[in-house]
Amino acid sequence: MDLNRLISYSLRVGVLTSALLSLVGLIAWAATGYADLSAASGSGVTGTIGSAAGGNPAGLIYLAVAVLVATPVFRVALSTFYFARDRDKRYVLITLAVLSMLTFALFSGVSG
Amino acid sequence: MLVVGPSEVIVILLVSVVAGFIGAMFGLGGGILIIPFLTLVEGVPVPLAVGASIVSVVATSSSSAATYVRDHLTNIRLGMFLEIGAVAGAITGAFVSVLLPTAALFILFGMLLLYATTVMIRSRKMDFPSSVIPDRTATLLGLSGQYEEQSKNAVVKYEVTRTPVTLFVTYFAGIVSGLLGVGGGIIYVPTMNLVSKIPVKVASATSNFMIGVTAAASASVYLFRGDVDPILTAPLIIGVAGGAILGTRILKLTPPTRVKIAFGLWLAAISILMILRGFNIPVVL
Repeated sequence: MDLNRLISYSLRVGVLTSALLSLVGLIAWAATGYADLSAASGSGVTGTIGSAAGGNPAGLIYLAVAVLVATPVFRVALSTFYFARDRDKRYVLITLAVLSMLTFALFSGVSG
Repeated sequence: MLVVGPSEVIVILLVSVVAGFIGAMFGLGGGILIIPFLTLVEGVPVPLAVGASIVSVVATSSSSAATYVRDHLTNIRLGMFLEIGAVAGAITGAFVSVLLPTAALFILFGMLLLYATTVMIRSRKMDFPSSVIPDRTATLLGLSGQYEEQSKNAVVKYEVTRTPVTLFVTYFAGIVSGLLGVGGGIIYVPTMNLVSKIPVKVASATSNFMIGVTAAASASVYLFRGDVDPILTAPLIIGVAGGAILGTRILKLTPPTRVKIAFGLWLAAISILMILRGFNIPVVL
């Protein structure tokens, strides 16, 4: 499979999964009688995601956000593997640079 | 304390379909439409508007990029190279945003919109650049490309020039993006086209491709900071993802000049409202 097709599929699957989870989250929210939900922060976000399986509306929506944010990151990682397979050193370095900055953003967010 | 009810959710959903549609068409994330709507119309506090917007930008971008990458309209190599600057900028911007007062954000955003307005109106002249000599970076990285121009039924080949300048501008666009919760597309598209001489459709498609990564970097910062409100964000994700699918079908036919001018004038009006709000002058919408 060529790189264009791989990227295209992974982006499409990521967005559709996220939109579907958001919809399920909104339906779960309606089922609670539109309970007042506020934004979680820090480790509260990861904790809330853990409650998604139990049908917690905020948990489902945070899971949707996590899937969405992971989608372009996954796309970059996928490209790194693809370029590595083609022994295209320049683009392995370029995609690795982007990937390491993204990882930094994610972890600085978690700890901060 | 922000309370969003079911009726607001429906309105946000409808507006975000339009934002996703326009975003996909013009190579933007749609944040420049979503942020004024959430702050000026719905009265959402700026940090929550920015947090929700930046998440939806990831959705607009990924949804439209899926189509443009499949159709080989996106210059993947150029996009990946410019992402180095864009992501570094986005991280800088997301951290600096905590230090800036809300009023400054409103004014900055208004100024960005005014800039976007002039670009939109000027972009009528952007077409198919010819006799472009690639620079050393472009040659080294193999950035030249080609795409199928459906409105002309022809394959257009193009070269990329002044790549370092575009990378430099991309870093600053990334900062603006992280600060204001937009993707930065409003800067990437004209820079790629006017500086690096890339055909406007390829510039739009490549911009859509890049802003997903830029926005993901800032979105994770906003998410853990507690600025992503679930009920505000869910309808945005659904709406823009759907709107973007519709928008990608339209780009193949060149957007008419009048649409661009109308869009430009609309942006001008919003930008003035945002600046007035920044100076604490009450704005009623």
